[in-house]
Amino acid sequence: MADLNEGRGRDLPRSRARFLAFGLAGILIFVALAGRLVQLQIVDGATYERRAAAVGSVEVAIPAARGLIFDREGRPLAVNVPSWTVKARPADLPGERTGLVLGEVASVTGTSPLELRARLDAFHGSPYDLVPLARGIDRPAALLLGERAVALPGIVVEAEPIRRYLDENGAVDGSLLSHVVGYTGPVAADELDALEADGYLPDDAIGRAGVEASYEEELRGTYGSRLVERDADGRTGAVLDTVRQPVAGPNLQLTIDARVQRTATEALQWGMDAVGVKQGVTIVMNPQTGEILAMTSLPAYDNNKFADGISGTDYQAYLTADGQPLRNHAISDIYPPGSTFKLVTAIGALEEGVTTATQRWPTYGCYQIPGAPNGQCLFDWNRKGFGPLDMTDAFAVSSDTYFYQMAVKLGVDRLGHWAEQLGFGQPTEIRLPGEADGIVASTRWAQSQGRPSVFTGELAQAGIGQNVIAVTPLQLLNAYAALANGGHLMRPQIVRGLAADDGTLLAPAAPEILGEVGASDATLQTMRIGTREVITTGHAYNIRDLRLPGALSGKTGTAEFGEPTSEGTLPFHSWFVAYLPSTPGATDADLAVVTFAYSAVVPGNVSLEVVKYFLQQYYGLDQDLRLDPRDFSLVAAN
Amino acid sequence: MGGVSTTIGGSAMRREWRTFDLQLFVYVLLLITFGVVMGYSASYNDPAPAGALSQPVKTVIWAAIGLTIYFVAASVDYHWLQTFTGPIYLAVLGLLALTMVLGTSLFGAQMSISVAGLDFQFSEVSKVLMIVVLGSFLAGRRGRIGRLSTIVGATALMAVPTFLVFRQPDLGTALVFVAILAGMLFMSGASIGWLAIFTGAVVAAAPFAIGALQDYQRQRLFCFLDPYADAQGACYQLVQALNAVGSGGLFGQGLTAGRQNQAGLLPVQSTDFIFTVVAEELGLVGSLLLLGLFALLLWRILRIGWDARDALGSMVAVGLASLILFQVLVNVGMVIGVMPVTGIPLPFVTYGGSSLISLLFGMGILQSVRVHAEKPTF
Repeated sequence: MADLNEGRGRDLPRSRARFLAFGLAGILIFVALAGRLVQLQIVDGATYERRAAAVGSVEVAIPAARGLIFDREGRPLAVNVPSWTVKARPADLPGERTGLVLGEVASVTGTSPLELRARLDAFHGSPYDLVPLARGIDRPAALLLGERAVALPGIVVEAEPIRRYLDENGAVDGSLLSHVVGYTGPVAADELDALEADGYLPDDAIGRAGVEASYEEELRGTYGSRLVERDADGRTGAVLDTVRQPVAGPNLQLTIDARVQRTATEALQWGMDAVGVKQGVTIVMNPQTGEILAMTSLPAYDNNKFADGISGTDYQAYLTADGQPLRNHAISDIYPPGSTFKLVTAIGALEEGVTTATQRWPTYGCYQIPGAPNGQCLFDWNRKGFGPLDMTDAFAVSSDTYFYQMAVKLGVDRLGHWAEQLGFGQPTEIRLPGEADGIVASTRWAQSQGRPSVFTGELAQAGIGQNVIAVTPLQLLNAYAALANGGHLMRPQIVRGLAADDGTLLAPAAPEILGEVGASDATLQTMRIGTREVITTGHAYNIRDLRLPGALSGKTGTAEFGEPTSEGTLPFHSWFVAYLPSTPGATDADLAVVTFAYSAVVPGNVSLEVVKYFLQQYYGLDQDLRLDPRDFSLVAAN
Repeated sequence: MGGVSTTIGGSAMRREWRTFDLQLFVYVLLLITFGVVMGYSASYNDPAPAGALSQPVKTVIWAAIGLTIYFVAASVDYHWLQTFTGPIYLAVLGLLALTMVLGTSLFGAQMSISVAGLDFQFSEVSKVLMIVVLGSFLAGRRGRIGRLSTIVGATALMAVPTFLVFRQPDLGTALVFVAILAGMLFMSGASIGWLAIFTGAVVAAAPFAIGALQDYQRQRLFCFLDPYADAQGACYQLVQALNAVGSGGLFGQGLTAGRQNQAGLLPVQSTDFIFTVVAEELGLVGSLLLLGLFALLLWRILRIGWDARDALGSMVAVGLASLILFQVLVNVGMVIGVMPVTGIPLPFVTYGGSSLISLLFGMGILQSVRVHAEKPTF
């Protein structure tokens, strides 16, 4: 080691070589750093500059105002009102003190800290994203939280519109039309992957039920976008540029008349209360156009609760409530149609030449099933029979044994064919989510159940709408509408067209014919006479005394199901479907109604009483022919 | 303690201030000014909350405190430090241990203690204090300096505080301790052969040390090898820094006009990544100017070390030179992608009171070495 003592008499020898080595190392380091800087800033500068420009900003969506929903008279049913949403930015929450902050937020907003914590924990995005904790906060609470912002790190209150659902008078009450209008709810984390391609944001609303869901694409509008600065942590900052302005979703006018809906709902509720029924449906439509004027499924639910972000307990209560309030029984559930289905058997029998309109057939107290052991028979509803009947009389008195014979002679596949011609076993294609297909017996259907075909007894019962037939109330109404309008199977219409901001119709949608029933005019005329006779000579009792503007035609139905009660009778669904013209002298019916009551146990047809009450109110009659519930049994139940 | 009294006598004092090293003082002042200006630009779009002092104002206040300490340290004969080597060493260990226990979490590392609202990072002042401790130790090895025990003893002295800061976890300060140790041992005249063996041992142990790191530390550490492989993840910071430096060009985008800096895109831009702001806004010219200032400062420090009256003064000088050279190398190297990303501040320029005050304290001792370079004449 060159240990040059140049200490000039000092106490430690210091080495010039080592000082030189240190200095040299320093020079090398500075030269290397400078060289690298030259490379970065001069040689490759353009490349880095291009990269720098690319990462400094990020495109952020601007939500569009959601389209409003009006009824056919321009009454607002779904609107956007200003509201406040409390959100949390997880990155800014104060660690272990987050619980205290959430507790404070919960006490101001009247929610539970546990629920807020659950919403926070359910979020799995960037910690700089905003997680909505409570929506629909009122103004005082929003202001209060704003004042305490310093004590509440990570909590942000944002103004954002919230959906409000109104009734026919503009009051905040969505239950009148909850099944039709539906509601919006937040996009779930597990759906986001699929929805992100369509421009949905982690904190976005999407239609969940009713028109809100089926017209989601229209109502949502077109989101805009803007360029926002993004910092090194991924936090977004000031707006640089608006790339695209958002375009509000178009407004919709429904075919629904909210007042008619109210009338239908009140009539149905009255009938259900009278006999203790828990579930019911009334649908009102224009059979010429397929427009739905009212669609009531009871029990209903409050869709405004969903708009606010429904609480777990409320949601659980709806799921476990009697009568399944969240389901639209008018289109989503299928029930045996009972005698109302005799329309299908009748048209099939007439069209396939099983009988003529005037040929008389014997009826029985109990109909011996062909090929079955002696004594295995199916009762007529009165257990006596009606003597020989032709088609219209058999339809008017609703003889079961007449239609057993028709069904057996038709065979299951020809019966099934005519059921399909009348729209059964397939969706009506109304633009509402969750429509059921229904069940129509056929050889193919039987084989799908693992047997060669249906039994003859089942076939006979299918002829009176029992056992192997199940329909939605809307399918049944649509079939009778086809009878009323001359054989056109209409597509039931729920949206009438686009509307202006004040609710006036801008572009009416044309009625759509899905298909033709394909029965001859004579056959349809015979059955129109049959449905008219149900009212005039059949057992629809005093409904014929209503002073209606046009001739009412219809059909009652009861369908037994389930287990016998303690009195030995089966619970049954009751049906009544009817149509009439609303102007005196007109022959084309423009109003068709169906009412369905689930699991009635008192004798009689509560559905007919409901329709009667509805018609009284709808036409503003000064008559009230409603029966006392104790007298419902005066109305034959078949 | 005879040295102390000489500093108080009036005539002695005048004579000593004649030897005041103006160059050292000016270079330090220029670097601090550079830091204030860059801090102003880095916080330009991020104004302090109402009632709080802005970042450059705070830096000026800290600089004032630091310069006061500088002059006090300069006027005191540095030999008294040798007397207190033991207590100083124990104080360093105590403070670092205290930091571990009481430290508040800043970016996940326990590095600071809040005193009257000022977050004070003891690890910063412990760097300077350890230079004094090591300098005293090495100066005391007169005649035995070439022995293995010099290296073992110095390493043992440095090992404890290094371990303490490593566990905070503050990898950066731990590495600075190692660099100070290496630089001072080399300059003290310790056996080159043994030093080579020790260096080999440290290199061999590096994989184990890397294994003891947290995942995030390890990921960031290796970003410099290929930053664009994980540009959106662990290496996001480095990529942003490279983009900013690269887009600075020859003359830069102008003070307070750096796109990345002003968009808040640079990671912790006023602290560890302050050099990105220099490079982006002042370009190659500004960057080289800053590096040139550091070069001048280092040259001056080495000069003082060479001229020092005794081994202690010389050792303190080379310790401070090692500290500054290493921190400049690693900090600037990190920003320009030739060194791993570790939390090491750029001396005098990085925003932070603890680092600035500690460094001025160190420079003050150095000034004292200069002032007391001449043999005292009574």
